Order: sequence, then structure tokens, then C-alpha cells
Amino acid sequence: MTLADYMTVSALLFLIGVFGALTRRNIIGILMSIELMFNAANLNLAAFDRFLHPEGLIGQTLAIFTITVAAAEIVVGLALLLAIYRNTDTTYVEDFHLLKG
Amino acid sequence: MQNLSLLSPALALSGLAVLALLADMLVPPSRARNLYHFGWASAAGTLAWLVAGLADPASRGAGSLWVVDAYAQFFGMTILLALVLCLLMGLDYKALPERHAGTFTALMLLASSGLMILVSATDLLLIFVALELVSLSSFVLVGFERGNPKSNEGAMKYFLFGAFSSAIMVYGISLYYGAAGTTHLIRGAAAPGPMLMLGLILILLGFGFKASLAPMHFWVPDAYEGAPTPVTTFLSVAPKIATFALLVRVFVSVLPAAQFDLQALVVLMALTTMTIGNFTAFFQNDAKRLLAYSSIAQAGYLLIGLAAGTGRGVEAVMMYSFVYLAMNVGAFAVVQAVGQEAGSYDLSSFDGLAQRSLGLALAMTFCLLSLAGIPPLAGFMGKLYIFSSAVETGHWWLAAAGLVNSVASAYFYFRIAHRMFFRAPREGAAPVVAGPYIYGAVAVAVVGVLLFGVHPEPLIAGVRASAGLP
Repeated sequence: MTLADYMTVSALLFLIGVFGALTRRNIIGILMSIELMFNAANLNLAAFDRFLHPEGLIGQTLAIFTITVAAAEIVVGLALLLAIYRNTDTTYVEDFHLLKG
Repeated sequence: MQNLSLLSPALALSGLAVLALLADMLVPPSRARNLYHFGWASAAGTLAWLVAGLADPASRGAGSLWVVDAYAQFFGMTILLALVLCLLMGLDYKALPERHAGTFTALMLLASSGLMILVSATDLLLIFVALELVSLSSFVLVGFERGNPKSNEGAMKYFLFGAFSSAIMVYGISLYYGAAGTTHLIRGAAAPGPMLMLGLILILLGFGFKASLAPMHFWVPDAYEGAPTPVTTFLSVAPKIATFALLVRVFVSVLPAAQFDLQALVVLMALTTMTIGNFTAFFQNDAKRLLAYSSIAQAGYLLIGLAAGTGRGVEAVMMYSFVYLAMNVGAFAVVQAVGQEAGSYDLSSFDGLAQRSLGLALAMTFCLLSLAGIPPLAGFMGKLYIFSSAVETGHWWLAAAGLVNSVASAYFYFRIAHRMFFRAPREGAAPVVAGPYIYGAVAVAVVGVLLFGVHPEPLIAGVRASAGLP
């Protein structure tokens, strides 16, 4: 496995995530797609750390920070989703149309 | 971790936030309102501490991931001022649940603490963590009226855009790290190449989300309309100003301009941001939405100073951010008072405001005229500074575009003024009775707008003294 392989997989993951986040209709699906994008970045960081800059720990540290922050972000998202579900009984984005103009 | 003590005002603020959170569980609901007072008092205390430390050279210096210089201190004070004013507005905002006063205060303090760290961050790791601290707090703040479906919806849209753009930014950071071997912005002796360029563009998009720049601005009107008005005010001012401080630090001072020429991109973003903001604002009938689009346009003007990229451009960004704080907080405070009285933020609630409450109508007019950039007011001085910095660097056509935009924007600002002065009040509309704290926030803002309009020298001197970047 070379660096190029890792970068290709990571770029593919990222693009799948972007595509999913833009086209999914269910909020849970969007959250999963965003998670894919975060993990693409993590894969990149780990691969760069191993192949290009093995002398330091910056890449790994950053990856751990990203994992933690992404988890916190999803928790907030699920809490908001719960609040909105209680009020509207739906998790589909096209049903949210109170705000427009 | 060298020189962590340099960040002590920001750290103290987050400590106070944790205190407020704990107090929320202990204070009985009948006395929960005191926690709002605790909030603005601790913000004001931190501000006083920061101001008192200005004379002391030991309050400035470089740490491992951060630099506290006069520039960071200037923006720190701006953010704290915005926080104090918004917490004062929160005291008179009736839809906030009294029972969760501590949580609300804690989140506002945490967001500001993140912003204060953000303006002095020089490492992408710290920038990312600070930005997330701000984002996570503000997602919850936007959805704070849990029973209100509009607030829920605004928060959800804000969250989805926010998480999406921070994922993009993290991917950009990973590319930057791959190319440079470090995440530090100053020490990174990065070889210019496509990977670094792509990384920087993705990072710029991530910042653009917080500053509501053109391709990442879709969340702004929805989040601003749904959020409780004090939160809207805070979001429209503090994160935007702090992100501009960061953008200036990253793209003007840290990265050598010759190697990474992103100026064309910044110019393009400035043009689209101004134009989209102003021309969509024409069609708005909700005061909060209108001001949301207006705040997008204002971000476009600030970008002109960034596009100029010179020392004068930096000064212009600082000066305009400060002035923008005063005029935007003033306008939103009046909107809150009027909207609360009428039960809706529709523009028709402003009908005949001059006959009902002349003081509020005059204050609103001053703030709106200042936002439009009409001469004797502070907004004019700020815009003059921004446009002249663009002309000096040969971007005269960018300045001209800004000027055209300002003229066009006068139309929708005057629409509100026209309603206030030349329309009869609706049937049974009472005089607007706002609480003392709203009046306080409005008074501070209007004094700022008038004072820095006719007598801008102290502000210019302060900006000059703090503009020197490393």
C-alpha cells in the first residue's frame, strides 16, 4: 500500500460523503455522510503522518482531536434532531419549510 | 505549552461559564434570572481586566499555538463588548425559558471564549478546536427556544451547514498538513503546490461559513430568523468579526502573498457576497431576515479590506468591524423591542413607530443609515476607510462595486425608515415599551454610531496602534 492508495481511498470517501450530504433527504443520512467526510480527513492525516512526516506526532494528534470533536458535533446534532422530531414528527429535510424568503 | 497565561482572559471566561452551568442546577427557578446578571457582569469584568492589562507589555507575547498581540487584544475587546450587549438584550427577551438561564449564559460565555482564542490562534489545530467550540455552543443557542418549531428548524439547518463545512475544513487541514508537515501557520515552510493550494481553499471555505461569505451563506437567514433575537445579534456580530480577524491573520500576515495568490478568489468572494446580500435583502418582509441579508452584505464590504491586503486594508477591517458591532447591535436591539411588542418580526410591525415611540424610531434610523453608509455616521467613516484601502492597491473597480452596492442597499434600509415615519400605525398598536436593558444596549450602540461618525480620531488611533501584525 503506497501513499497514493491511501489518498485515493480518502478522496473517494470524502466525495461520497459530500455527495451524500447534498443529496440525502433524511437527516440521519446526512449526519452519516458528514461522518464519512470527517473520517476521510482522519485517514489522510494518519497516512501523511506515516509516509511523509514520520518524525512527529502531529498528524496522529490532529486525527484524535478530529475524532473527538466530530463525536461531540454529532451528539449536538442528534439532540437538535430529537427536539425537532418531538415538535414535527419527521426527520426529512423537505418537511422543514417554516423559514423561507 | 508555553505562555498559557497569555490566554487567561479567555480561559477565565470559560471558567465562569462552567460556574454558571453548575449554578444552573443549584439556583432555584425563581431566582434563575440572577444568572443573566452573573453572565453580563462576568463578561464586563473580563473586559475590564483585558483593558486594564493593555498597558502591561507582559500581557502580550507568543505561545506554542497562539500569539497574543495588540491585534488579538483589540478583537478580544470587541468580542467581549458584543457579548455584554447581547447578554443585556437577553435579560429583556421574554421567550427565553427562565429555568435555563444558567445554560444560556454558559453557552454564550463559552462561545465568546472560543472566539477570543480564535483571534490569537496561529495553529490550525487550535483554530479547529476553537471554531468547533464556537459552533457547538451556537448550534444549541440557536435552538434554545425548544418549543418553537422555527427555532428548531433554524438550529437544524445551521447545524447541517456547520457540520458540513467543518468537515470540509478538516479535510483542507489534512491536506495542508500533508504538504507542510506541520499545522503551524508561521513555522510551516510549506512548498507551494496543488495540494497546499487545495487545502488552503478548503480551509477558506470553512472560515467562510462562520463569516457568512458567499458560497457558504445559505444558513444565515434561516438561522437568524429562527434564533432568539439576542442570539441572532450575537451571531451576526461576534463570530463574524472574529473570523475576519482570523482570515486577516492567516491570509495577510502569515502566508507570504507571493507564493499563495488567493487574492483573485478573495476579490470574487467579496463581489458575490456583497451583491447577493444586498439584492436578496430587497425582497424580505421579515425584519430579522432583512438584517440577516444585510449582514451578509456587510461581510462582503469587510472582504474588500482583506482583498486589499495592505496594512491600511487591515486597519480598515478592524475599524469597520468595530463600527459594524455598534450599528448592528443597535438595529437588532430595536428589532427585538418592536418585534416582542407586536408578536411578529414582520416589517409591518414598524408601521408608524415614530408616532408610538420616537426614541426607538430615531435610534433605528441612525443605525440603518449608518449601515447604509450615509455621511455623518460611523458606517460612512468605516466604508470610506475600506474603499480607500482598495483604491490605494489598484482595486478601484472593487471599490466602485462596493459603492454601487451601498447605494443599492440604501433602498431596503430606507424601506424600514419609511414605514416608521410615514405610515400610520396599525389598528390598536400600542407604544413600544421595552425593558431598561434594551434601552441600555440601544443607547450604547447609538452613542457609538454618532460619536465615531463625527469624531472618529480616537477609534482610528486605537486601530493604528493595534494593527501591527507580526
